[in-house]
Amino acid sequence: MLAYLCAIGIVALIYCLLALGLNLQFGLTRLVNFGVVAFFAVGAYTSGLLSLQGLPLPACFIAAGVLSGLLALPIGLLSLRLRDDYLAIVTLGFSEAVRITIQQESWLTHGVQGLPGLPKLFAAWGPGVSDTAIFAVLACIVGLVCWGTVRLTRSPFGRLLKAIGDDEAALSALGKDPARFKVQVFMLGAALAGVAGAFYAHFITFITPEQFIPLITFYVWMGLVMGGSGSVRGAMFGSLLLMVFLEGSRFAKDWVPGVSEVGMASLRLAAVGLALILVTLYRPNGLFGGPSK
Amino acid sequence: MQRRNLMKLGGAAAVLQCLPSLGFSQQGDVFRIGSLTPITGAGSPYGPGMQQAIRLAVDEVNAAGGAGGRKLELFTEDSQTKPDAAVLAAKKLIEVNRVQAVLGTWASGVSLAVLPLTEAAGIIEMNVSGAPAISTLDTKDLVWRFQATNDRFGAAFAEICAKRGFKRPATMAFNNASGLGNVEGFTRVWEKRGGKVAAHVTYEPSRPSYRSELQKILAAKPDVIVMGSYLPDTTIILREWFQSGAENKWVIPGWAANPDLVKALGPEVCEGIISVDTVSNEKSPSFANFDAAFTKATGKSAATNIYAAMAYDMVISLALAMEAAGAKATVEQVNAKIRDVSNAPGTAVHTFAEGKAQLARKAKVNYEGASSKLDFDKFGDATPDFGVYVIEKGQLVRRDVVSISV
Amino acid sequence: MTWIDFANLLINGLIEGLVVALPALAMTLVMGVNRFPNAATGDLMTTGAYAAVAVQLLGGVPLWLAAIASVAVTAVVSAGSYQLIFRKLAGRPMVASMLAAIGLGFLLRSLISFFAGHDQRTFEMPLVRAWNFGGIRILPTDLLIAAIAAACLAVVFVLIYRTSFGRQLRAVADSADLARASGIRAGGLMLCLWLLVGALSSIGGVLLGMKAIVTPEMGWESLIPAFAAMVLGGIGSPVGAVLGALVLCVVQELSVPLLGPSYKLVLSFVVLALVLLLRPAGIMGRVQLVR
Repeated sequence: MLAYLCAIGIVALIYCLLALGLNLQFGLTRLVNFGVVAFFAVGAYTSGLLSLQGLPLPACFIAAGVLSGLLALPIGLLSLRLRDDYLAIVTLGFSEAVRITIQQESWLTHGVQGLPGLPKLFAAWGPGVSDTAIFAVLACIVGLVCWGTVRLTRSPFGRLLKAIGDDEAALSALGKDPARFKVQVFMLGAALAGVAGAFYAHFITFITPEQFIPLITFYVWMGLVMGGSGSVRGAMFGSLLLMVFLEGSRFAKDWVPGVSEVGMASLRLAAVGLALILVTLYRPNGLFGGPSK
Repeated sequence: MQRRNLMKLGGAAAVLQCLPSLGFSQQGDVFRIGSLTPITGAGSPYGPGMQQAIRLAVDEVNAAGGAGGRKLELFTEDSQTKPDAAVLAAKKLIEVNRVQAVLGTWASGVSLAVLPLTEAAGIIEMNVSGAPAISTLDTKDLVWRFQATNDRFGAAFAEICAKRGFKRPATMAFNNASGLGNVEGFTRVWEKRGGKVAAHVTYEPSRPSYRSELQKILAAKPDVIVMGSYLPDTTIILREWFQSGAENKWVIPGWAANPDLVKALGPEVCEGIISVDTVSNEKSPSFANFDAAFTKATGKSAATNIYAAMAYDMVISLALAMEAAGAKATVEQVNAKIRDVSNAPGTAVHTFAEGKAQLARKAKVNYEGASSKLDFDKFGDATPDFGVYVIEKGQLVRRDVVSISV
Repeated sequence: MTWIDFANLLINGLIEGLVVALPALAMTLVMGVNRFPNAATGDLMTTGAYAAVAVQLLGGVPLWLAAIASVAVTAVVSAGSYQLIFRKLAGRPMVASMLAAIGLGFLLRSLISFFAGHDQRTFEMPLVRAWNFGGIRILPTDLLIAAIAAACLAVVFVLIYRTSFGRQLRAVADSADLARASGIRAGGLMLCLWLLVGALSSIGGVLLGMKAIVTPEMGWESLIPAFAAMVLGGIGSPVGAVLGALVLCVVQELSVPLLGPSYKLVLSFVVLALVLLLRPAGIMGRVQLVR
């Protein structure tokens, strides 16, 4: 039982990390990133491919974060020139472009066949212990990121970021350069997504391009929006809610008689859509924030 | 922050504890089986039928008094045809329900993701997936495959083309492991026979039109086009082919060239299409027996879902192995007997009860399954026969059966 | 590549471009007036296609009749979405409307797949062979599709440039405050706009279904090419949307011999990014602030 919950916990923490990365990008600097899954995918594949070459896992994870962060540089620079909605469209297109490239360049990535048999973290310690260890490491990292984000928000740098979100013209008038900071934050958020991807790859041990679709990006957005964007607490609560929703629907078939299981999958997507609409309409500050904005 | 998160997880755990479907099973004279089929997702046309077939087999075995002195207990989960969902489902089956075998994984992605888990737990896994990588990942010989690999499908296509005297094949592959696997298998065998493939195109899913891809293929003037494809793209490609007025023949996998294709395009377009799929072991009494039970339970004939017959065979062969291994056998000991009870030589048996009776007499049995003869090779793969159907006047007519020697 | 191949690819591209032009137009209208990208446009197309399928199945009517019914249904759904959702989000940051649109898209798609299943559907249409002009193939169905798309576009242009409705719309697009000051009542105007948007999406969906097949994902997959076309042509410019769609699809088709079929979508994205970087106004757009 505990091992099962541990597995759910690991997936929840992975989503949490993704939400924290998005929280940096959107919550703090208002950069609309609809391409979260691109950095997730790059992190997963980087770590996976390097680990198959024999590199020790910690190095693979670091490489995953670094590469995803670097990949975010051109997008970050682009984001300086683009309004919200354009950035959203471009990042969405970017995530699909990344997925297709991974799929096509099979000389590098094994393409559609995917990468099976990836080494699991802490595999030497046996299945039960290794999962607990993964959970612990992830929890530590998430904790670290939370602490770091809170420190960042309260630091001068962080206050600068918050100001950017509010009025950019005023800032430039003051002679401060928001551009560099925005790009750095964007890259940091992407690096987090990359590390999350590495954890994902070495937990599921099998990755294919088909797993990295835009729906994942919108799951993360949903979690962030439901929890209340801009706060670390919100990001974490949102991801937890997301996991309960995604895994809970497995048990739902016992509670909702008469609905075929095939129908259940449609209902799950319907619920995500409805949640996005309702939360945006009535609870823009997250489920526990006030209705005004 | 960390503590808060852990507390919340603990809270969630407490809530989940109260949910009804978490079964804690007893130890003792029970062998626990986990069914992990695609109830939702791309495999949903087959998953429910497979689950039903497994249930029928479990009931059959228990009605005959159990296997190896133990009753079978069944736990079912939905793989959602997605690797990450399947991993969590498998974890639940393995950790919560403590199953000793996971049966019925359908998509290659699902099987590949679940394999490491079952291997680490030292339990048996049985699947109907096509990816060749499954054989290589199966290092402890705990994995059993009841469907032909993608590669062998392609080989069957090559046999069929050779038999029908085609000389200039061209290939079109859907850009995923299955489509590419089919076509690569075909090309390998075709070239080994000294032939040449005139042209090849790999196309993307979900496009509204494949005119440019088709144009490239038709420019090479093939006499037959061999596809590794699915229903939606086949529909579009065939429609555009018909409208172009070209005259070549087609060899298409059975899941793409089926009655739905005829429904979408009409008999004229589909006339003469060669549809290839694995066939169940239809001449055997095992199939007749299973078909009767399946039709009674679901209202549909077993011929509509070849994977159901495979799923049924999974349980029966497992149960016979349990019977052969004797009472209180470990999973490993049961596993070691699977080839024993399924492969020739031996007295042919067609139901569990028959097999049990024979084993009681210390005879060596050879279970001839409902899905195929079930002769497992060194990888644990059993390869069914291939049915060659031709669409004539809107109906699929069986014209040939082809066996692949492995 | 022979010039016959070239001609065939060009024709393919033009036809696809005309089909993509409809959702691109629908999106550019909303973008220009309501100032957010309506990601539900794709799923409105899907709704239209399924409505037509349903009407054909239940009523046994010819396709053109089913299409009219589907236009009515989708227009209502679109107007409803404005009334219930987007109107309320008007004063808020754009992200809210975008997310809500994505949510609406999911909702529509899942409801459709819940009731209709995931199996593909096709329209009841007679199949005819292509006309072959020495290797250059033209399908009568494609010509029909092109004609219908062109007719729709013509109607929309007349509406926008020659009627008071269109004039008021363009005024609101330029400045909502100014429009209000001059007495234009926005409420009814918006409703009409969204009815139009729904109708356009629905026809786009039916045309797509005629060309290919009808599945729950069909609209979502047309979204990025439609976005790219809109941006390429210049946001807010109806003529731009159509031009952008034609140029994009032709370029996509012509790229196939070079890049292979798999990179078509990547090309859309690259075009999108380049246009936004180098010439944000697009082909026809005014220099509306990209930033």
